[in-house]
Amino acid sequence: MELDEASLAIGRIERALSRMEKALTDRAARPAAAPAVSATPLPPAEQSALKAEVAAVIGELDRLIAEADRG
Amino acid sequence: MADVKLTIAGRPYDVHCADGQEAQLIQLASIVDTKARGIQGGTEVRQLLFAALMLADETQDAQTKAGSAEPQLDSLRAAIALAESRETAARDELRAAISRESAALAEAKKAADGERAALDELEKLRQGAPVVPAPAAPAHGRALGQIADRIESLATKVEQIP
Repeated sequence: MELDEASLAIGRIERALSRMEKALTDRAARPAAAPAVSATPLPPAEQSALKAEVAAVIGELDRLIAEADRG
Repeated sequence: MADVKLTIAGRPYDVHCADGQEAQLIQLASIVDTKARGIQGGTEVRQLLFAALMLADETQDAQTKAGSAEPQLDSLRAAIALAESRETAARDELRAAISRESAALAEAKKAADGERAALDELEKLRQGAPVVPAPAAPAHGRALGQIADRIESLATKVEQIP
């Protein structure tokens, strides 16, 4: 059923968000590392790509929600 | 045949007539006798002559009146025919109007039934009856799946951040 497919997708999204939240919480709880390392956990290019992907996913979600509101 | 005895101007007469017409004959003889007795003087024959002339005059007068009434009678007949025609047309129009009214009433009843059903549905919604959700569009399910893929990929990357 289509409803099940949507519910499964939402469940997957919720679990992925929980994973991200847990990873970020664990990272914040770790003792501070060497300043040089903690200042640049990811290369700038990867940071930008990650931010761009997050923005793209949020935009896609916004678009989908607006479309669903319009029926 | 029936035998009838008549008395006109004081003289008796024996006459015959068809059975059943005795009373009519006596009635006619009475009219002649009245006319004859109304003539004063003269012989019996003269009395009968004048009585016959007076009756002939009355007959002619009646025929003239009947003739003059004939056109009026024709007008009355035409008026009656016209009135009957108009009555028929009025009845047809009334029947058609009743039919139209019945159709309009049926249409109004149908509309009222529809409105009542809509009101019932609205009342159910107000009372919090469960509303069957419209199934999500298939494209939405697929899009959500693709977004889930991308968020899972993001989660993996976040987990791999040192």
